[in-house]
Amino acid sequence: MLTLSINGTSHQVDVPDDMPLLWVLRDVIGLTGTKFGCGIAQCGACTVHLDGQAVRSCVLPASLAQGRDVKTIEAMAQDPVGQKVQRAWLDLEVVQCGYCQSGQIMSATALLTTTPKPNDADIDAAMAGNICRCGTYVRIREAIKRAGEA
Amino acid sequence: MRRLLPLLVGVLCAFGSAARAQAPTGGAGENVVQRGEYLARAADCAACHTPPNGQEFTGGYKFSLPFGTIYGPNITPDKATGIGDYTDDEFVAALQRGVGRGGKHLYPAMPYTNYTLMSREDVLAIKAYLFSLKPVHAESPPNALSFPYNQRWAMVFWNLLNNPDRRFQPDTSKSAAWNRGAYLAEALGHCQACHTPRNFMYGLDEGRAYGGAVVQDWLAYNITSDRDSGVGAWSDDDLAAYLSTGHATHHGSAAGPMAEAVDHSLRYLTQPDIRALVTYLRDVKPVHDEIPAAKPVQADALGARIFREACVSCHALDGSGRQTPYAALQGAHSARDPNGTNLLQILLRGGNIATGGPTAFMPAFGGEYTSEELAAVANWTIGHFGQRGGEVTRKSVEGVRPGGPGSAAQPTPGG
Repeated sequence: MLTLSINGTSHQVDVPDDMPLLWVLRDVIGLTGTKFGCGIAQCGACTVHLDGQAVRSCVLPASLAQGRDVKTIEAMAQDPVGQKVQRAWLDLEVVQCGYCQSGQIMSATALLTTTPKPNDADIDAAMAGNICRCGTYVRIREAIKRAGEA
Repeated sequence: MRRLLPLLVGVLCAFGSAARAQAPTGGAGENVVQRGEYLARAADCAACHTPPNGQEFTGGYKFSLPFGTIYGPNITPDKATGIGDYTDDEFVAALQRGVGRGGKHLYPAMPYTNYTLMSREDVLAIKAYLFSLKPVHAESPPNALSFPYNQRWAMVFWNLLNNPDRRFQPDTSKSAAWNRGAYLAEALGHCQACHTPRNFMYGLDEGRAYGGAVVQDWLAYNITSDRDSGVGAWSDDDLAAYLSTGHATHHGSAAGPMAEAVDHSLRYLTQPDIRALVTYLRDVKPVHDEIPAAKPVQADALGARIFREACVSCHALDGSGRQTPYAALQGAHSARDPNGTNLLQILLRGGNIATGGPTAFMPAFGGEYTSEELAAVANWTIGHFGQRGGEVTRKSVEGVRPGGPGSAAQPTPGG
């Protein structure tokens, strides 16, 4: 039995220690905003925050999230930085198909929390590994800068 | 007498600590089987007597040596395929003299030149443990060695030169911890089997003890006390953490055969024993290698692109490691080696390390990327994290690709 703090709520889950956190989030707890893309940390769709750091939940054993603060896309509407990011995303109409965007927003929010005015190199470093098949990268970059100014 | 007394006390203390160093392992109240289990872990028997992803001690682990292929045999107490018929004396002869049942000479892939230092009492505790296991009927594949290496009798001469056939003698001028560390490293853990280069006779090159060597395509690093080439600059805590868990902050993570050593052996050692190993390693004579100095390196554009695409999700662009500290590349020895020996192994074969918690793993990238791409990403990693000019070429990748011409073709268990 694992005890996980997810979006400020404590959850007791009866899962194997090495079950990836993504499975726990989606299939056990029912938080389906975080997406499954590749399952091998190659696409970034499953990105969540672990103590504020963007991590790929598909390769993170749930037991390693114990005692740490997990935040998912569902909590971003209550997060001051997450709010700015989502506002900028809507204003600039970043999203096309949308599948990768939970992960993009989680990576962008983690970046802006530690680096409120990121330059292009900061954005490159933080967003590398979040892949968008629709190619919305240009708008993502613009929206991150917009959120940083807000 | 007043002057003699401290001397006498000193001698007695030295004698006492030497006796402790020789004393068998294990806490008071442990029975011989429990003691044997601890010793078998410390001697890392499982690493070579367990098939990849198979049942412990049932044999079949493949060694690819320069002169052919041999397999670690089944050492469960099965009478037909294991060691069930071994008497005490026969078992002691195998570990101390490299002579198996019926006078059959063992090959020195079995580190009996190290185990020979073990006391008879400790050897028999290991036997008691192995004989407490369930017998498993498991035949190992036949060895395939070329002539003259397939002539087991010839080992008589090799043994005359390379097996001292003597028990561990504590050095009374050293501390009890040093002597315990020496016993763990030399008699049990056989660290030198990988970390000391071999001479043309396949004996250990004692002049470069612990100076590093390539074994089965992996570079076993220089772990002497040299500050630049060895581990002399590591803190005691970092060394202890690396030995116990396969990872230390700013020193990267163990992979390949060292990950196996941590997985099967080192993580089971008590902290006093780990500290004793550290004490001993600190005192190993430094072996210095000329390593190119760190310098800014022109980034490889293809390598940078691949690292951003394929590697950052776990390693992060600054090499801090994302999901797990085991993914940290900052300070990793593998990124300072211009030839990228171990980097190529982990890229091509992937790897994993179990340390009691969930397994940390890296998938293999050999199937998805061409040799040019892997060389580029290796060189970028060496330049970026090791600050050295990587010298990996398409040819060097092809040389060690699984199944490639120069490859030992040893699949990493589970990798």
